[in-house]
Amino acid sequence: MRRSQTLLILICLLLAFTRIAGAAVTGEIVGQGGQRFPIAVSPLKNLGANSADSGRVSTGIADAMVHDLELSGWFRVLDRSAYIENAESGITLGTFDFKDWSTIGAEGLVKGGFSIQGDEITVELRLFDVYQNKERIGKRYTGRVRDFRRIAHKFVDEIINQFTGVPGVFNTRIAYVSNSGGRFKEIFVSHLDGSEKFQVTDNHTINLSPDWSPDGRSVLYSSFKDRGQTLYLFELYSGKEIKFTPRAGGRYLGGKFSPDGQSIVATLETSGNTNLYLLDRSGNVIRQLTNDAGIEVSPAWSPDGKQIVFVSDRSGSPQIYIMDAAGGAARRLTYSGSYNTSPEWSPKGDRIVYTGRVGNRFAIFTISVDGGEPRKLTSESFDSEDPTWSPDGRFIAFSSNRAGKYHLYVMQASGDNQRRLTGSGGDDTKPNWSPRLD
Amino acid sequence: MKTRSSWYVCGGFLVLTLGACAPSTTAKPDGSAARSTDSSTAGNDARAGEGERGGTKEATTGASSLKDMQEGKPPITPASSPLKDVMFDFDRYDLSADARATLRANADWLRSNPSARVEIEGHCDERGTNEYNLALGAKRAQAAREFLSSLGISPDRLSTISYGEEIPVCREHDEQCWKQNRRARFVILQGRTTS
Repeated sequence: MRRSQTLLILICLLLAFTRIAGAAVTGEIVGQGGQRFPIAVSPLKNLGANSADSGRVSTGIADAMVHDLELSGWFRVLDRSAYIENAESGITLGTFDFKDWSTIGAEGLVKGGFSIQGDEITVELRLFDVYQNKERIGKRYTGRVRDFRRIAHKFVDEIINQFTGVPGVFNTRIAYVSNSGGRFKEIFVSHLDGSEKFQVTDNHTINLSPDWSPDGRSVLYSSFKDRGQTLYLFELYSGKEIKFTPRAGGRYLGGKFSPDGQSIVATLETSGNTNLYLLDRSGNVIRQLTNDAGIEVSPAWSPDGKQIVFVSDRSGSPQIYIMDAAGGAARRLTYSGSYNTSPEWSPKGDRIVYTGRVGNRFAIFTISVDGGEPRKLTSESFDSEDPTWSPDGRFIAFSSNRAGKYHLYVMQASGDNQRRLTGSGGDDTKPNWSPRLD
Repeated sequence: MKTRSSWYVCGGFLVLTLGACAPSTTAKPDGSAARSTDSSTAGNDARAGEGERGGTKEATTGASSLKDMQEGKPPITPASSPLKDVMFDFDRYDLSADARATLRANADWLRSNPSARVEIEGHCDERGTNEYNLALGAKRAQAAREFLSSLGISPDRLSTISYGEEIPVCREHDEQCWKQNRRARFVILQGRTTS
């Protein structure tokens, strides 16, 4: 049933692109259905006089687009070595021959050009329909030369919008924890392709649980850098930082921004007990949300900000619970498995993703917010942990030790197309996916 | 900036006892600054420790696990330590018979060294999520603190901190290793044994 639905949706989308010009398609591609849309991405032409850096930018933008298209799981990007078009061909309709592309099996084609003036780059990118011999998208971008990959991510988001009716999520960043092969755990942020990597902390202690503010400008994290563990809010563009001072003898273990960015739900430990508290953006306590003698940790918000999903061991083992954002009684969500943690609410509001123990391993599961049977998305022949949704809810990033050390991975929300994102020499864990960025 | 310079000066004593090494620090609400300056002997001990860590003949528990990690040392409790580690089962913070026996011995030492203040560190194995393990480590440290308190050791002498799964003694990925990491560790913050 599910498989045939998937196939039907995919066929409809392909038809929409190749046959029904201009038809608006809305819907979700929930699986690959064994078929991916064949697309070619031509290296960009240098349209300006400045030829310094030309090769790096030309293939750099193309490579970034190839990375994103492959990562989405919806496209099969034709290998560049198979391209037969000659160098004199243009990048606008009528200045090249679609046959050069249909011959090698491409149904979609991305072409573009750029010019560099000083620190500034102008890039124009087009998506062509090879079957229909038509241009589908034409965009011009201007930005700093060193941000050229961001332009590529933005255009792929447009391509995905053309196919699915919802923009892609490649102009986003991931915040995560890495030991970079050393002893200390520091916070980093980077694009999904690893570019524009920025080190948020460098205090040679332990820094954990990064969480993006909904405006994408700040990262909240917990740190041992100043005696006891507490939360810090770091503003990426100004470098300003606020320390959240817990009440005497207390420690903040982690926190999550509310969808409106106005408050934070945080885990406070006092005298061995952990409970959830609602804080304002400066770290002042608004109110206590749970009052339990056990462990209450890892809160996350529903997309409408009205409910909070969290972990409690009140039943004797860690399980997922849901409660009103104002506090009060909680409803137990997970009943299968003896160890279920790190929940995150899907942006669409219908499912919770979490880490569950299977034997001696950990796997990623999703479950309906109404309960029912969980869906296991990763194999128990290795560990996968710390799931985080993409802002459109169509992807899940997580950390896994399937290649030895822990690296970050991305998969579709169905569990399909699991791909590795990071390859630092150390362990990369605790990913948190940013909102869409400008 | 004072905080930063204190960081380096205080060394292993910085956790929760900034007041001990920074005389001008204002008293904290929990009274730790006041306690740390109530005896001039304690202050001298703290300063002596800066120069020659572990170089004295006095019994030592070693520095805090965070300090060990920063110095590139495994956070191992020395065999000569008068305060032994207490071990736990996976995802548990209740005290086994062995754990209680160890705590009784630790309590004996604390009784005969009444000036000693101890920080109890809670640790976990690597399985499970970081935040849950930080909470679990806090439970383990607190369980040890409450048992020592029930044996007559003033809770004012016992602070707690959880490092969760973040500072393991052993880094292999098997039960042999995990069981060494599920522990409460005792670090003497000030005061030294007299024997």
